[in-house]
Amino acid sequence: MKKLLYSTLAIAGLFLALSSCKKDYLETSPTDAVSQDDIFKTTKNAWNAINGIHRSLYIQYNGQQDQGGQSKNIIDMDMLGEDLVNPTTANGWFINTHRWLSHRTETSASSPFFNFQFYYDIIANANMIIANIDNAIGPDIDKKAIKGQAYGYRAWSYFQMIQLYGKRYDKAGANSDLGLSLILAPTTDKIVRSTVADVYTQIVADLTAAISELGAAAPRANVSHLNVNVVKGVRARVALAMQDWTLAAQFANEARQGFNLMSNTQYMQGFNNYTNPEWMWGSRQQADQTTFFYSFFAFMSADFNSTNIRTGPKCINSTLYNAITATDIRKQLWDPTGTNTAFPIPPGGARFPYMNRKFLSGGGSSSSIGDVPIMRVAEMYLLEAEARARAGGQEGAAASVLFTLVKQRDPSYVLSVNTGQALIDEIMFHRRVELWGEGFRFYDLKRLNMALNRNGANHVPAVASTMDVPAGDKRWEFLIPRTELNTNSNCVQNPL
Amino acid sequence: MKKLLLLATCMLPVILVFAQRTITGKVTDDKGNPLANVSVIVKNSTTGTTTKVDGSYSLMVPANARALIFSSVDMAPQEAAISSSSSIISVTLLGTTKNLDEVIVVAYGTVKKSDFTGSANQVSYDDFKSRPIINPLNALVATGPGVQTTAANGAPGSSPGIRIRGFGSIGAASGPLIVVDGVAYDGGMANLSTEDIETITTLKDAATVSLWGSRASNGVIMITTKKGKKNRNNVSFRVLQGFSTRGLPEYERVDPQEFYVLNWESLRNALVYTSGQAPATANQNATNGIKTQLGYNPFNVPNNDIVRTDGTINPNAQLLWPDDLDWNKELERLGSRQEYSVSYSGGNDKSDYFGSFSYTNEKGFIIRSDWRRFSGRLNINTQPLSWFRTGLNISAVVNNTNQASDASNTGYVNPFYFTRTMGSIYPVYAHNQTTGEYMLDVQGNRFYDYGNFSALGIPNRAPGASPGRHIIEETKLNQNLFKRNTISGRAYGSLIFTPWLKFTTNISVDLTDRNASTYENTKVGDGAPAGRATKNNQKTTSYTFNQLLEFEKRFGDHHISAMAGHENYDYNFNLLSGQRQGQVLEGSVEFPNFSTINSLNSREDNYRIESYLSRFNYDFQGKYFLSGNLRRDGNSRFANDVRWANFWGAGIGWRIDKEKFMNSITWVNSLKVRSSYGQLGNDGLLDANAAAIYYAYQALYGLGYNNAAEAGAYQEQLANTPLTWESSNPFDAGVDFSLFKNRLRGTVEYYHREISGLIFNITQPLSTGGYVVPTNVGNMYNKGIEMELGGDVLRTKDFNWAIKVNASTVKNRITKMPPENKEVITGTKKLAEGKSIFEYWLRDWYGVDPSDGAALYMATRYIAANSRILTNEKGGVDTVTTDINNAMFHYAGSAIPKVFGGLENTITYKGFELSFLLQYQIGGTVYDGAYGQLMHPGAYGTAFHVDALKRWTKPGDITNVPRMQNSATGIYDAQSDRWLIDASFLNIRAITLSYQLPKSLMSKIQAQDGSVFMGTENVALFSKRKGMNVNQEFNGTTGNVYTPARILTAGINLNF
Repeated sequence: MKKLLYSTLAIAGLFLALSSCKKDYLETSPTDAVSQDDIFKTTKNAWNAINGIHRSLYIQYNGQQDQGGQSKNIIDMDMLGEDLVNPTTANGWFINTHRWLSHRTETSASSPFFNFQFYYDIIANANMIIANIDNAIGPDIDKKAIKGQAYGYRAWSYFQMIQLYGKRYDKAGANSDLGLSLILAPTTDKIVRSTVADVYTQIVADLTAAISELGAAAPRANVSHLNVNVVKGVRARVALAMQDWTLAAQFANEARQGFNLMSNTQYMQGFNNYTNPEWMWGSRQQADQTTFFYSFFAFMSADFNSTNIRTGPKCINSTLYNAITATDIRKQLWDPTGTNTAFPIPPGGARFPYMNRKFLSGGGSSSSIGDVPIMRVAEMYLLEAEARARAGGQEGAAASVLFTLVKQRDPSYVLSVNTGQALIDEIMFHRRVELWGEGFRFYDLKRLNMALNRNGANHVPAVASTMDVPAGDKRWEFLIPRTELNTNSNCVQNPL
Repeated sequence: MKKLLLLATCMLPVILVFAQRTITGKVTDDKGNPLANVSVIVKNSTTGTTTKVDGSYSLMVPANARALIFSSVDMAPQEAAISSSSSIISVTLLGTTKNLDEVIVVAYGTVKKSDFTGSANQVSYDDFKSRPIINPLNALVATGPGVQTTAANGAPGSSPGIRIRGFGSIGAASGPLIVVDGVAYDGGMANLSTEDIETITTLKDAATVSLWGSRASNGVIMITTKKGKKNRNNVSFRVLQGFSTRGLPEYERVDPQEFYVLNWESLRNALVYTSGQAPATANQNATNGIKTQLGYNPFNVPNNDIVRTDGTINPNAQLLWPDDLDWNKELERLGSRQEYSVSYSGGNDKSDYFGSFSYTNEKGFIIRSDWRRFSGRLNINTQPLSWFRTGLNISAVVNNTNQASDASNTGYVNPFYFTRTMGSIYPVYAHNQTTGEYMLDVQGNRFYDYGNFSALGIPNRAPGASPGRHIIEETKLNQNLFKRNTISGRAYGSLIFTPWLKFTTNISVDLTDRNASTYENTKVGDGAPAGRATKNNQKTTSYTFNQLLEFEKRFGDHHISAMAGHENYDYNFNLLSGQRQGQVLEGSVEFPNFSTINSLNSREDNYRIESYLSRFNYDFQGKYFLSGNLRRDGNSRFANDVRWANFWGAGIGWRIDKEKFMNSITWVNSLKVRSSYGQLGNDGLLDANAAAIYYAYQALYGLGYNNAAEAGAYQEQLANTPLTWESSNPFDAGVDFSLFKNRLRGTVEYYHREISGLIFNITQPLSTGGYVVPTNVGNMYNKGIEMELGGDVLRTKDFNWAIKVNASTVKNRITKMPPENKEVITGTKKLAEGKSIFEYWLRDWYGVDPSDGAALYMATRYIAANSRILTNEKGGVDTVTTDINNAMFHYAGSAIPKVFGGLENTITYKGFELSFLLQYQIGGTVYDGAYGQLMHPGAYGTAFHVDALKRWTKPGDITNVPRMQNSATGIYDAQSDRWLIDASFLNIRAITLSYQLPKSLMSKIQAQDGSVFMGTENVALFSKRKGMNVNQEFNGTTGNVYTPARILTAGINLNF
């Protein structure tokens, strides 16, 4: 009896001993993520971190259909302007932005929340790279390419945002109104908002660093990466916004070196392929990275089969359109009649006068795949021309730069003899036509301290709702999203 | 040992040699019905017999026999002394469900209810066998105190939500741990056939659940499946047939004429108030333009004369397609329910078995939502050797489901959203817009109107009416299939060394293969025109392996039991999913038939727990009880330093009725006081989408951020090594009593669950990346009173009427918030110290300005551009605003009811039994968002609730519905306390009627017994608003989900 007791206990003890687990039994880790330490162990791994930022420009955020990364900001900027016309409210996406309501609603899930979250996410990732890349094992040339791009992204992100959440930069003013919280290292601290001037100072500093790093880096693999031309292009945009005409012209000129303008045939190909010679920077998408209904092309193309496009294709301001000369290839991007069947539409799609075919979905009506342009060389021509025209004393040079671009679009174009405001107006007209739908109009109106005026064209008052916004109105500033106010007690709201 | 057995065996005949005599008698139940198959055994011997069909027995007993023991399954055993004067002993046995000697299933064992120091509700198969319940958790609704439930959605097989004693967490899981046959179950509740279930026990108190350690903090639901019974072989058949229909009516919505008038006002007021047109001009423009905005003119009057310039409908307006406006007609159907099951069981001294097979087929009341389940189970236990016992309980289930797409509240493919919000003028089929006649396709058939057939001369539906989409066509053409195969095995081996010492090892495995396959058609919807197919394969495997050493012994008046053990839990989740688009040929929805890969993903999760556990129970004379548990858990969800923790529970009980001084108080049959306290954990970390997360403490970069062909990663979460369990300290104290010959039974108890280290998913400043960091910072408590009373109002031989009522309260308070986030706003709620977790934080709706019909909210401050100062009823002034950004938020009430519970009535008359179950809730408020979406100020195309007809139309109108104005969409109908409504309700949850078929009839077909029964679920719901799904969510919100179903079934059950 005792024997049995002991042997049972022995067996039980043995079982317990055997079943006690190995020490790493409780160490588990995900299979679809890697540890932060691993990412910055080598430069080879660290490339993943910068590629992740490239990718972040075209992923979906918050499960929202209007939040396809950079596309959303691009569309917002045109929705807030007067050059893009919504013939109907379609299925509602972007309409509250178009009506100037969304960006002034601090609790909105769309703008102003998204534009804040999206760029600050990029900044957080860029900060991780800047903080950790120096200790990674690998060639210096890779480190420069990675770090330079990180600086470039941080500067670009702040610049995209400061123009939304801060007051316009006024060269003549102190620019001491609140701008953005400057987050320059990985942190979770609650940082106060710096002044607009300070934010611009930081942007310039980052771009200077980026130009320096990328200037010494190996050539980029493709147009979805930043290189020294792109960061110079951003630098030129910044200078333009700061009304520093000389630097703007200089950087725009430097940025466009090595790029060609596209042919008129290429011009009609749908703005969806980054192999186009004019593209300086754009997101590349491949088939298994489908963006479904949050794609840029799900809202802006002529032909993708989304409810939004079927019921509300995007149109151009008729006044702007009518001013385009008949020989200009760009005149063919829009159909003033709304009956031209050469314009592709999705099955069951509605046609409206002045609807566009500038943007065509790379996958036609069945797939919203397509590359999204973020910087084209045409913009650099326009930027240089504008800067020189505004600088004074360089009008000849300005007209000449403009000529190079417009002659390419319109064979009948002759060198402008305009001067002064007339020349500036001519350049701005070409800028509006050339960059329609590419996310510039709100930024342009704001940096130039202009009013929004949607009257006298094909805007539908019931859709647009807001027809005028005076220059300098407080509505030119996006509200700080409520989430930031809730999570950062040191942050204060813009004037309501 | 063997010697001992041998000796015992040899001695038996010796005893039997003594003089014998015959005892006879009859065994009946408390209603006087004869009980067959009752075992009658001479105490301390193996001599015995069983009763016949008429309950009679006759037994030869030895002269020295002192007592007989009567026992039967489902009945409490009874001992009767043998007197020398009488040879007739008749007894009445009491059913266990009404008896204090019911056995309660607890962690790693069972305990007699009378000895139980904890708190539990237990429902048995008999309680729900006549109810048409597929998902066993539905049996818990309203049937016991302390258990709060939500209405299961109407899709076949759906689970209700369950909360035990309040709300255990904010950022982590709050649902109870589900344990099946002693092991945490990972299979999905709809996998369990209700026919296989013996008991469902809800364990509520610390001492009882603490053996589940780091997973027990939200309570435990223990499900025990049936077992074969000794010396009782049985085959039973059950067939059930029935119907299912919509359990709630739709919200009341306006008709086409009213719809047009409201939209006309919407346009007109937009032109006046937003675009600044003169009223007369705006009236004319609205009359001319409203058809363009709405797209369709469903009337036989000109487009510019539908609504007159005075805002009235053209009196001549007649509908062109009056018979084609019902979008539910083709989507809804009479659902059906079929269940067939057979089970067989039996056993002898050494072995027992239970086997079952069942088939269930339910068609939901929405087309293409159905559910089929094949389920089989085999449970065998045997003790081949005196010192070795083993058993295997294995079940296999195959589910095939076709699902309605109600996952997204406002998705175009959600039939409930689509039909609810469809404006009342839009036809289902394409019509000639002038004549109203149906249009026909080339085959001469009617075809669906997608609302964007401009090529056919049909206008687009307005934006609010889902143009270009068609829920009926999409539901018919799309597929949303779901297959799930589950195998569960529970095996054990016990070494029984002595009657008081036993070693058991349990090995359990749950395997679930889940295969979801969706197809979106090429004609209309998200997949059009390419067509796409999505496959999602998930394999879940979980193992539990434990070794337990158990000890139980009496030392005189002292009764001690103890257990020590070790356990591993290993959970693995494996996902493979992909999507392709570009359908090549019609018909096939397999990947090779599609041209492009849209996505291809895979992932694996591993989650492990290692535990050491022990239990100690002691009682003295069956009067004083003491129990204690200790468990030490290591959990892979937490970092090394905080991975291990101890959990424990202790309980005491006192059977007052067993005290001598109680002998004189005869009206008290039993009286027990008990109390428990302990420390439990909650490891159920959840992400923002309420999906389980396992690696929250690690700093991670997510893969899957490839930039075209270049490998990419993006920062996903920050390091968070201090993250650990939420810890909960539940206290409870209660009294169980049974009075007046057990006619009045009940329990009253008080509980207080203190939860600390509450995990808050703290969003870091958006400006720093907005990373969400789960942090153990909060404290909260739930406390309340639970009461259950049962009584036999009438108890006669033929007629019995029993009532059972339960009531519970929950007071939930957050006592500590994160210092950096003292207030957290989530959806319609704001979390703050001193408030409950379901406290509404909403704009303070003020009403409608009678002068211009503007929607007004209380203002945070006066801003000239958007504020008004109005005199209120009390003569004071209120600062109100028309700008939602300036609207003041305030606490507007709580979603938690004051009291909730259930009432069960069971009336039996001879063989008939009628029972009904009521569920009630008093107090609390609902945020009726589904209603709010129908109360917009004129978003063109969207349906209106009839309450919109009370809108402001002219100065002086006193109303709570602001003027229609399209451009005020999102402002006038913004989230505010305007959408709050009383959450009190009464639900006639279930009614069953059964009839016990006469024994005489049954014996003709050699059956032991049989019954026919009818059951209905969700009979009627009474709440403040027609159509409102008042009990949809614990947090009080409503949305567009599969409306709960009403089910009516009839069945027959035969036992052989």
